[in-house]
Amino acid sequence: MDSLLDVLGLEVRYGNIEAVRGLSFSVKEGSIVAMIGANGAGKSSTLLALSGLVRASGGSILFRGRDIAALRADRIVSAGLVQVPEGRAMLAPMSVAENLELGAWTRRYKSNFRDASGLQGVATDLERVYALFPALAERRSRLAGSLSGGEQQMLAIGRALMARPKLLLLDEPSMGLAPRLVTAIFETIGEIRRSGTTVLLVEQNARLALRVADSGLVLSHGRLFKEGYSAELLADPAIVEAFLGKA
Amino acid sequence: MSGGSRRAATIRRGGPWVAAVLIVAADAYLCVRDPQDLDRLLINAMLALSAFATLHARLLSLASAGFAAIGAYASAILAVKLGLPVFLSIPVAVLLCGAVAMVISLPVLRLKDVYLAICTLGFGEIVRVSIILIPGLTGGSTGANLSTGFTYATMKQTRSWALALTLVAICYLFWSASRSRVGRALRAIRENPEAAETMGIDVVAYKNMAFLASALVAGLAGAFYAHSVGSLDNGDFKFSRAVDILGYAVLGGSGAWFGPVLGAGFLTALPILLRDGLGYGLGFLKDFAQFPNILNGLALMLVIIFAPGGIASAFPRAAEQRGVRRRDLVRPSAPAGAAEAPSRSTGGKGKVLLSVKGLGRSFSGLEALSDLSLDIAEGGIYGLIGPNGAGKTTLINLVSGLVPPSSGKIEWLGREIQGRRAHRIARAGIARTYQNIRLFGGMSVLENVVAGRHIRLRTSLAAAWLRLPSQRREEVEAREEAMGLLDRLGLSELADEDAARLSYGDQRRVEIARALALEPRLLMLDEPAAGMNERETSALGDFIVDLKRQGIAMLVVEHHMDLIMEICDEIVVLDFGRKIAQGAPAAVARDEAVLEAYLGRE
Repeated sequence: MDSLLDVLGLEVRYGNIEAVRGLSFSVKEGSIVAMIGANGAGKSSTLLALSGLVRASGGSILFRGRDIAALRADRIVSAGLVQVPEGRAMLAPMSVAENLELGAWTRRYKSNFRDASGLQGVATDLERVYALFPALAERRSRLAGSLSGGEQQMLAIGRALMARPKLLLLDEPSMGLAPRLVTAIFETIGEIRRSGTTVLLVEQNARLALRVADSGLVLSHGRLFKEGYSAELLADPAIVEAFLGKA
Repeated sequence: MSGGSRRAATIRRGGPWVAAVLIVAADAYLCVRDPQDLDRLLINAMLALSAFATLHARLLSLASAGFAAIGAYASAILAVKLGLPVFLSIPVAVLLCGAVAMVISLPVLRLKDVYLAICTLGFGEIVRVSIILIPGLTGGSTGANLSTGFTYATMKQTRSWALALTLVAICYLFWSASRSRVGRALRAIRENPEAAETMGIDVVAYKNMAFLASALVAGLAGAFYAHSVGSLDNGDFKFSRAVDILGYAVLGGSGAWFGPVLGAGFLTALPILLRDGLGYGLGFLKDFAQFPNILNGLALMLVIIFAPGGIASAFPRAAEQRGVRRRDLVRPSAPAGAAEAPSRSTGGKGKVLLSVKGLGRSFSGLEALSDLSLDIAEGGIYGLIGPNGAGKTTLINLVSGLVPPSSGKIEWLGREIQGRRAHRIARAGIARTYQNIRLFGGMSVLENVVAGRHIRLRTSLAAAWLRLPSQRREEVEAREEAMGLLDRLGLSELADEDAARLSYGDQRRVEIARALALEPRLLMLDEPAAGMNERETSALGDFIVDLKRQGIAMLVVEHHMDLIMEICDEIVVLDFGRKIAQGAPAAVARDEAVLEAYLGRE
């Protein structure tokens, strides 16, 4: 497998705070990579830098061999790197279907969006998202703001998938979800990968995240503390002690 | 650090000082050249401060020009037509402005943002048109010679001195108020009115106060203006003047009192200097009469684009003023809490604090919560669980007074509290945190927590102005208490950081510290462990149990079942707004309905 994303010496700074200090890692095509670490370790900042919502103050981000560190956020989406933000960021006064359709917004850059085949593509993708999340299909004309937390999380993921990402970034998809839904969301992440999308996942629920992931990155104070296959990390006493807690 | 970035840092530090010195020098030059400009400058600075008073509490008011008009005409009429001494006519006119402000604040301050701006603009027009409509008193649309005793050369000097001293006094009052709990409350309202209200800050009263202060200062500026010009003209207070005044405050920055003063200095001097400068160098451009105005507008645009917070925000010290700083502390902070707190029962429950009876709330036909009854006793930890959308946060919003119930009763210590405003409920001893974090973003972590102590501080505005020793002691003690809380939550290292810059989990801890600063008897935590890993969650659990030992009752909404099962004495389960189970953790975990609706079966 080739690497889809190569991050080299990434730095992110907010005023005096150095959130990310020289972070390097790679994500292989077709894999699920979980990024774990304590609060303030720099996980969310890394995702924000990858998706262009925060400007990296140093380092380079190679996505499919091309440096995207200086690209605008919408260009990064159209290059195939799409983030599901922490807190879901619904377009609350718009319907579920409208939220999903807007997810395909950057595809308008592709010339075929206006002809029938392009629209057809969007319609097909909508049906795929509804198949993945039947709850959204039932509520397609409801306003996004009226959905429960779990449904909003599904919608946020569905909306990101509408952009046909090569790499999907998920920031704490299980946050604020009832236990039943947490399991369901992780199953969905597995399905997304099976359909060919690579996933980089930030999660506080580290044990569950590592179970669904192929490999893990452990961050500490803005640096890479450890990386390895999920099974190795789950078996590493130091990692269990510091980040996973009791089973 | 490279040479380039060091140079950039030097420019960042020194730049605003250079700008301030240039502005002051330009203004000083103008005033020496023409004393009339000194008066204009001082009056504009005063008007800028009037806009600052409202902007500081995030009230986008354009009423300053209207109040200045009332102050000007009232003072002039009193002095000229009724023969009152000038120095008496000014305070009477200012009081009149205050009375008008109190009347119109009732309807007007219900509005927010751009709606408030439009409405206050309307007020200004009403004042101006009213002036035209009573020509007998005001001279009507042609203006009137209402100038007074200040016209003699000696009086002119007296006027300038009086004006300057008044401006200094106003600056002092604003400065000292902004360093006290009053200023902190206003900043908290600016950052998040809802959170401020649930911290016990009476948002309506503070907004009224800011609006009144703005009106008084504008009236004062107007009154001085009346005695500084030869004749009054209603055109002096027209729409564009209201926008100018706002421009001074925005350009200077509404974060600190000296910002608007600098802004007024800049925007007053610039057109005069441009006009004269063009007169010398580029005479042909003088044919374009509006050319200085174009440059003036351009300068305003540039400053706003490159320093959106205004000139004041570029000063490092201005940034510090936003928050109390850790180094202000004289004594090392002692951990408050466990040791000195009365240790009450740890296992058995005390008396009932909160009693909810048949509580219901529907949102446009959808029942978010229906017929819920629940008792919360002193020193108990109550878990509230259920699927997303089951009504858990709705219950917290109802109890904290942010949302009124559609039916049912909420009793606190035997007295009904439903329908009371949120700040009164907070004062009764009920604190909360938010699922979607609502910190005071532009303030330091420490200042957030000190703002949470608002209701425990006694300092009045008068004491803040006098800077009494008791007030300063109280401030220091409040900071020490706050530092103690931050220590207990492992946040003391972050005390000086801007709260908005913290990671998600740390922000949750700051919210808990802020809620505890209120010294509540009931603390409602809405998903306190969201965004925390398992280690952090278990540390939070220990902390919550520690709070219980202090006798604080808690209602905890949470999806981390390990945490809920470990710390709760009793668990209530909601589904579709109804209670489907209640009981001890072990019993609830086995309950069929709960497994079906929420926990799921392995």
